[in-house]
Amino acid sequence: MEDASSKSFPANEPEQDLYTIPSYSSWFTWDEIHETEKQALKEFFDGSSISRTPKIYKEYRDFIINKYREEPSRRLTFTEVRKYLIGDVCLIHKVFRLLERWGLINFGVPTEDSSGDEKLKGRLEDGVPNGIRVVSVPNPNKVVLLTPNVKDEAVDKGGFRLPPLASYLDVFGDLMREKGLICENCGEGCASGRYVSAKGGFVICVRCFKNENYGESKTADGFKFSDSTSSSDDHGSDVWTDAETLLLLETVLKHGDDWDLVAQNVQTKSKLDCILRLIQMPFGELMLGSTNGKGGASNSSGNNINNRQVQANSIDTQEPIKTENQCHENMDETRQIREDETQDPLLKRRCIGSFADSGGSLMKQVALLATMMGPHIAAAGTKAAIAALCNENEYAQEMFEGEEVSVTNYFGSLTSKNEPGRVCKVDDMEMGEKCIQSEPQETPQEKLVPLALRFRTGIAAALGTAAAHAKLLADQEDREIERLVATIIEMQIRKIHCKIKHFEELELIMEKEYTHIEELKEYFIAERINVICEALRVGISRWKDHTSVKSVIGSIF
Amino acid sequence: MKSLPAVASKPPIKFRLPTAENLVPIRLDIEIDGQRFKDAFTWNPADPDSEVVVFAKRTVKDLKLPPAFITQIAHSIQTQLAEFRSYEGQEMYTGEKIVPIKLDLRVNSTIIRDQFLWDLNNLESDPEEFARTFCEDLGIVDPEIGPAIAVAIREQLYEIAIQSVASARESRISKKGRRGAEHVTTSKAGGTVLDLVKLFGGKSSVLRKRKEWELYEPIIDILSNEEVSALDAREERNAR
Repeated sequence: MEDASSKSFPANEPEQDLYTIPSYSSWFTWDEIHETEKQALKEFFDGSSISRTPKIYKEYRDFIINKYREEPSRRLTFTEVRKYLIGDVCLIHKVFRLLERWGLINFGVPTEDSSGDEKLKGRLEDGVPNGIRVVSVPNPNKVVLLTPNVKDEAVDKGGFRLPPLASYLDVFGDLMREKGLICENCGEGCASGRYVSAKGGFVICVRCFKNENYGESKTADGFKFSDSTSSSDDHGSDVWTDAETLLLLETVLKHGDDWDLVAQNVQTKSKLDCILRLIQMPFGELMLGSTNGKGGASNSSGNNINNRQVQANSIDTQEPIKTENQCHENMDETRQIREDETQDPLLKRRCIGSFADSGGSLMKQVALLATMMGPHIAAAGTKAAIAALCNENEYAQEMFEGEEVSVTNYFGSLTSKNEPGRVCKVDDMEMGEKCIQSEPQETPQEKLVPLALRFRTGIAAALGTAAAHAKLLADQEDREIERLVATIIEMQIRKIHCKIKHFEELELIMEKEYTHIEELKEYFIAERINVICEALRVGISRWKDHTSVKSVIGSIF
Repeated sequence: MKSLPAVASKPPIKFRLPTAENLVPIRLDIEIDGQRFKDAFTWNPADPDSEVVVFAKRTVKDLKLPPAFITQIAHSIQTQLAEFRSYEGQEMYTGEKIVPIKLDLRVNSTIIRDQFLWDLNNLESDPEEFARTFCEDLGIVDPEIGPAIAVAIREQLYEIAIQSVASARESRISKKGRRGAEHVTTSKAGGTVLDLVKLFGGKSSVLRKRKEWELYEPIIDILSNEEVSALDAREERNAR
């Protein structure tokens, strides 16, 4: 019934456009009003009113169909048409509906989504919806209270306002707040990142932080930036978060094959899960092997980069993981920075396979490297890096040697991020040094270091690292350019030498020829003289023959 | 002149809203202690009166208004219903009346201006359906706008119906037996009635002239928050 048949009118004029109408509407003609129409719209045909006549109906109908056919691909709406037609809108609407029902207009044109339709349509979404965390054992005893909606808009004076329906936000609001996806200040989602306060775990979004709406705590301090990418969805034992992966790697590095210990450290995963995960990771098996002998085979820089990329995944976990040992964390940062700077042979590790996110940031790479190292190696690397850096930057050297100067002074002077980038790094190094030398204890100076400054330190350090790296690359490029230019010049000189040689040879040849020609010349002259002598010996003819004498003599010269 | 089809002389019908459903438009505008409650909706006069109080109570509860509103709301509704009922017994003429209906309303942050023709004789007309189509075609998502349009249309129809009752009474008194097309021209009812003969009869086309297209086209404006609050403030000032 629904198959469309195209109908051209009239068939004998081929240049007309073809419009598609369903086969059940084939009764339609422009010239007449069909019985179907008369039945459906009796009011036009019963003569009950001046405003409803067949002529009027035909006008309405023809106009609407033509209007639709001006642009058959778009859906003609009644509201669009009614402005063109004089008459009761309800009646026109009836005509419109009739035409639409019979497919004479809007045939095959998709209906637009209106807000009403969305309620009926379901939208397919993959995965667990936001705000819901699937836990293994839900607590049936825990009563979930409905909290009033965070965004309480102004009461609408005009119309009815039903009480806000309990949304999943209310029910799962606690969970969401834990996950930190909703800013508690402005109630909006924190897509990119959020600031978690050190005290009650108060979460605000980046925007609020920038606008200085700190909510409860009212100060900029005490807020730590946590990247949203770190808190991925928890799907139970199927998906490994970065934190768990990090723990796994660390434990494996430290203890090798001891799966009980590994499972213990990575608390949320079982032994089997750990093993499985490690095997799945591209370098997993190698890690097992190489934990026994660290600093194994050397590898190309390409593999080194791969290493860094592996680290890329776990750098994010560094930040949200609040270690109680602040010093340790700072040392981590330090290690990461240092290790990236130097192509320390200790860092080189055989690595098979590349990682999808090869575009990872420097910090990520460095962090991952750091996680794979044991602390002693990292410390050695740090020392080497410090030395290298000192050679590069005398300021740093100065700083480094002036160990006695209190750390707090340095931190106090940190105002801008870019300028004292290197200073920060050095300070980190100092602290790192101190920590390495003395146990990982919190030195008094470190306690004074506020969270924000450390945070700034981290950023400055990262920026400095990137800058240093860039500089190295630039230097390398410069040298390359010089080398190439030298080569070119050499080539040119050689070319010229060849040419000169060639010309010299030619000259020699020329000289030879010249002498040869001279000889010939002399020979000819001699020959001539001989000829004249002979001629004279034979005898000059008489005076009368002056001309012949002259010609003979003249011909000599 | 072309012979007109015989106009069936219709007997006057009892007063009712010339729509498929005889719903009465109710408008509330109550102020108590500086708190203002405005609302507009349709009421079915066939509902028992007890429903009014129930409705008022529920409204106050849902909107968390002070309880003093309950009596006021109920009172207002009842007044309007009584007024409607006072017309009910009477007759009204439903001659050929195609009236222009104008929409000029502001709902939340949307302003709607529109003009179209409505046939009072069409007792099957449905303002709600019109409003629904309106919102769908123009992609309006605010769910309050549709009902607001329907109520506005109903109000105007109500007005016209009331006037037609008055005119029916008049004509009955003055001239008995005069019916049909002449009512069109003699009626001075609000909402100028169109001269149907001119429009539909004869050689004129039902297609509107181009310059009139804009008049009969719906215009929708979306206001920003500042403009909305400014208009609210002005309305309040005017109300005082």
